[in-house]
Parts: sequence; structure tokens; C-alpha cells
Amino acid sequence: MIPCKPTATKLKLFILSFVVVFAFKSVSAQDGKALFQAKCQSCHNIFKDLTGPALGGLEERHKWADHNELKAWINNPGGYMAKDAYTQGLKAKYGSVMTSFPDVTLPEVTAIVDYINKTYAAGPGGPKGPGDDTVSSNAPDKSQNAVIFGVISLILAIIALVLMQVNSNLKKMSDDAEGIDRPEPVAFYRNKVYIAMFAIVFFIIGGYFTTKGMIGLQRQTNYHPEQPIFFSHKVHAGINQINCLYCHGNAWESKSAAIPSTNVCMNCHKAIQSYEKGPELFDGETKIDGTAEIAKLYKYAGFDPKNAAAWDPSKAKPIEWNKVHNLPDHVFFSHAQHVKAGNVQCQTCHGEVTSMNTIQQFSELSMGWCVNCHRQTKVQFNYDSTSGNKFYSIYEKFHNDIKSGKMDSVTVKDIGGLECQKCHY
Amino acid sequence: MKKFLIIGGCVAVTVLAVSCSDRNPGRAYMPDMTYSRAYETYAPVQDRLNASGAESEPSFHGGPVPGTVARGELTGYKLLKDTAGAYATSAALVNPVTDVDQKEAERLYLINCGICHGAKLDGQGPLWKDGNGPYPVAPKNLMGDDMKGTSIGTIYHVATYGKGQMGSYASQLTTKQRWMVAAYIKAKQGGGSAAATAKSDSTGAKAPQTAAADTTAKAATK
Repeated sequence: MIPCKPTATKLKLFILSFVVVFAFKSVSAQDGKALFQAKCQSCHNIFKDLTGPALGGLEERHKWADHNELKAWINNPGGYMAKDAYTQGLKAKYGSVMTSFPDVTLPEVTAIVDYINKTYAAGPGGPKGPGDDTVSSNAPDKSQNAVIFGVISLILAIIALVLMQVNSNLKKMSDDAEGIDRPEPVAFYRNKVYIAMFAIVFFIIGGYFTTKGMIGLQRQTNYHPEQPIFFSHKVHAGINQINCLYCHGNAWESKSAAIPSTNVCMNCHKAIQSYEKGPELFDGETKIDGTAEIAKLYKYAGFDPKNAAAWDPSKAKPIEWNKVHNLPDHVFFSHAQHVKAGNVQCQTCHGEVTSMNTIQQFSELSMGWCVNCHRQTKVQFNYDSTSGNKFYSIYEKFHNDIKSGKMDSVTVKDIGGLECQKCHY
Repeated sequence: MKKFLIIGGCVAVTVLAVSCSDRNPGRAYMPDMTYSRAYETYAPVQDRLNASGAESEPSFHGGPVPGTVARGELTGYKLLKDTAGAYATSAALVNPVTDVDQKEAERLYLINCGICHGAKLDGQGPLWKDGNGPYPVAPKNLMGDDMKGTSIGTIYHVATYGKGQMGSYASQLTTKQRWMVAAYIKAKQGGGSAAATAKSDSTGAKAPQTAAADTTAKAATK
């Protein structure tokens, strides 16, 4: 038994060291990413300076290759900074001291650093998103169709003319053969029947286009002016699912749906400094560099990505967007009444904005278009609400009429939606 | 033949006049009834300014006229971002909005906060999605234990002034709306009533003079 004892001790030692190594290994292998996500990534990115410095390659900076130093800093940044010039410089640069994490242990620090090094070595490309589907903002199909139909009609017209000439020539030849003497046929451009037919067709077609053009004066369907920044609603509202009212919140409570001020853009773009994960963007044929467009925003905001802590939002300049939806001055329109009271979806009038790269006018915004909708839209009354709008006593009458079966529904027309003064006053 | 030329010419001119590209707003029948003489919201103002000889850039002022209070606005929030220890002292603030409409608060949360912090308050909004969204840093998980321990006053303070990468929401949400959102978050975290949470939080820390006076004033206006 006695000779066995050293072996047993050795075995115990071996098992112990194995357990320690295994435990250590399991921390580094599995938890580096989780720890980084739980504790670091609210402020740190591996490739970019944000609230805190970029963590990629951190072991080459300061004394961070020594994980004990790094742990001392993470556990108590305030205390560490008091006697360390480098971290004091960091505070000056980023404007705040790092949050302390007093319970982070040495193996955890090593695990986090391992994860950072691994991700940093893989490069910022990392796992790529679906970047190869390309989208163009133009739809040339319709106009191409029109050209094709035009060419076909022209060819058919020429064939008809040729056949008519052939027909008259053949008739003349047969007349000559039979010996019937007919007067010389009049050339088709002097033939009164042809001229009359041409004039009628000309007036119908010309009149149609002229009337259509006159009606279309000042109607701007599909109008999409050049904007100072190529802003894609498809990327923001479509792919990234930002609610319309996040930027255009005033639509809920005001006449105008607000164009967001620069600081609203910067809520996200303070951190999102490059366009990487979305699809390629095109303005017609021109390829758009999303990152360059974000840089334009920074120019308006007065924001320097390299010195983010020094940004003063109150110095930001407004972006002069070009107004797309223009109503004439003699028409009053309130977004709040439609969006909040009427519960109309934005898409009803503005179309599928979530798929538009360049915002363009979807509806005609003509009087007929407004009036048609007011004729058909059924008003949603809130029967159960005790705090409802009691302004129109006529509503109560309608309620009672519906309950007693005199009416089956109430249209906007019934509550004054066709009164001239509703829009013109 | 001359007549045809004249008619044809007229039609051609009309067609040219009314046809316009999609990059151009087109023409109006009666410009004086279409374009407002007064300044309309977001209408182009440059030409008018140039014509009147005024300054060439439209004047821009980010804030309200000094000394004015918007209708229905809760009285001023005096705990400024650069007040010493503002973040810590904000914990003592009491929610002056006593009757929080949770449905409206949820709507505001989903529009303004859910995009990053997630509809379930788990920090997995569409902009982050575990790192698959475009946002480079993780939004705070509002259901985390540290956030459950954060008082309603601090949440309100952060919504007002921002923290880390988060910007200020003072321009998008009114004072009342920010309190409503903070109360909604507390209610979701605790599952209990927001008012009770606020009370238990405010007993913990000692409120500084300004903040206490401020909150009582707000409660009074309410």
C-alpha cells in the first residue's frame, strides 16, 4: 500500500490539474462570445470606436497583453485610472469612464480577449448578409411596352396604305382590260374621304391627349425629385422595419407629417457609420455608395466619426429635402385627422414606401381621388369609449339609427366629408 | 394646308407644355392659388428669401422661444445632463403622470424604442437581431436584472438625454410621453403596477433639492 501513496497523490494532482485546465478551456471556448455580448458590446465594437474604443488588437495597446492589468482595469476603472496616464487619455477622448465590472475573473478576461482576437483576425466582413440581390428604383417596362405597340401600329398602318394602293392599281388594270373608261383616280392626299377620316382621327387622338394633359397639370404622380442625400425608404422602413412614425411622428398629432430633424437621423447613425449589410443601391443606373451618403449626413450634423464624443447636436444644420407631396395652397389637409382619428394606414395614400428606394408620389392627390375615398370610407365609431369626441351630436343620431336598423353604415360624406369648406376655406 | 399647320402646331405646343419628367414638379393652372404667399411647412423658401433680399440661408432655431411653454406640456425638467451626478440623482425622480394609458404607452414604446430594444424589451430589436442587423453595438436588454433594478426616474432621464450610443428622445417624445414609456417599461419588467414601482424606487435614494422641487411641481400641474 505504501508505494501506492505517491501514485495516488500524483493521480489526484493530475485529476485536479485536468479539471482546472478543462474548466479553463471550457470558459475560453464557450463563454468568450457570451461574455462579450453580455458585458462589452453595449459600448464596444471590435472594429469601430463607438462609446468606447474598438477592441480589435487590444493586446498591442498599453499593457493589455498582461491580462492581470486588463482585469484590474475592468474590475475598477476609476481606481486604475487614478494612477495611469493612458486610461486618463482614453477618458479625455471618449468623454466618459468605462462601467466597472468588479466580478469579472481572470479566465473570463482571457476568454473575452480570445474571442475578440479570433473575430478580429476573421476581419470585419465576418458573416456576410444577403448582399447580392440588387434593386433598381426604375421600372422601364411600361414605357418599353408603349414603344413596341407604337411601332407595331405604324407598321400595320403602312401595310394598310400599301394594300390600298395595290387594290386601286389592280382595279385600274382590270378596268383597262374590260375597256371601261373611268376618270383618273385622285391621289390619296387629295382624296376628300381620306382627308376627312384623317381629320376625325387626328382630333380624337389629339383631343384625348390634350385633355389628359390639361387635367394632369399640377398632378405629380411618380414625382421623385433629386434629394440632397440618397435616402432609401426601402432600407430604413422595409429591411430594417423602422416604424413610419419613428421619423414622421408628427403625422399622429399635427397637420404635417414631420421631416425628421438631423438629430433623429443621428439617433442611429451615430453608431451606424457605414452601409454594409443591405442590398446594393441604384439610382437609375448609377450605383449608390451608402457609406458616402451617410458621410453627407455627418456633414449636415457636424459629426466627426473619429471624434464622436465632441459632437454637439445643437450645432447640426437642417437637411434641405425637396418636398415630394405638394398640395395647392387652396386645399387644407391634416395628417392627424386621417392617421389618428380616421385610422388610415400610411400606405393607403403613400403606397408601398417600404419597397421604394427613391420616395415618389404614389397617389394622384387630385380632388376626385380625395372625394372618392371620402365617399367610400366607413367611419370607425368608438361606441364603448366614455371619453370619446362629443363634438358632433349628429354622431349620436347615427349611432341610434344604426342600432335601430335605419342605417347600416356611415360614410365620410354623412359627417361633412363633401362640404366644400372641408378643404377650401 | 396652312390651317392644318396651325392646328398641328397648337396641339404640339400644348403637349410639350403639359408633359413633364418625373424629376420635375410640373406646372400649375393658377400659380397664385397654388403656391402660398405665407410660409408653409417644408415648402421651398429659398427663392422667396433671395427675392426679398433677406439672409440667403433659412433661419433655423432648434428650440422653442425662450420663456414659453407648450400647451399641455409638463413644467420643465431641470435636472440637466451636465448636472454633477445627474444620472445617479435621477433615480429619485417620481413619475408625475399618475394615470398612464398603457395601450398608448405601448404604442409609443413600439414606435420609438422597439426598433432597438425589441418588442419584448429583450434588446433584440430589428436593428440588432443578435448582431445580424446594421447596428454595431448591442442595445440594452431591458429585461436584464440590472435594468429591473434601475428606477423609473433613471429610465426617464436616459430617454431625455441619451446614454452611450443612444440619443436623446426629447425631440420625438414629450415629457409626458417619456414618463409614459418609462412607466410602460417598468410595468413590463415587474408585471405589476408602474406607480408602485416608482414609489419603492424613490424611497431608496435621497432626492436633491432641485429634482424634488421639480417633481412636485410636475405633480401639481398634473
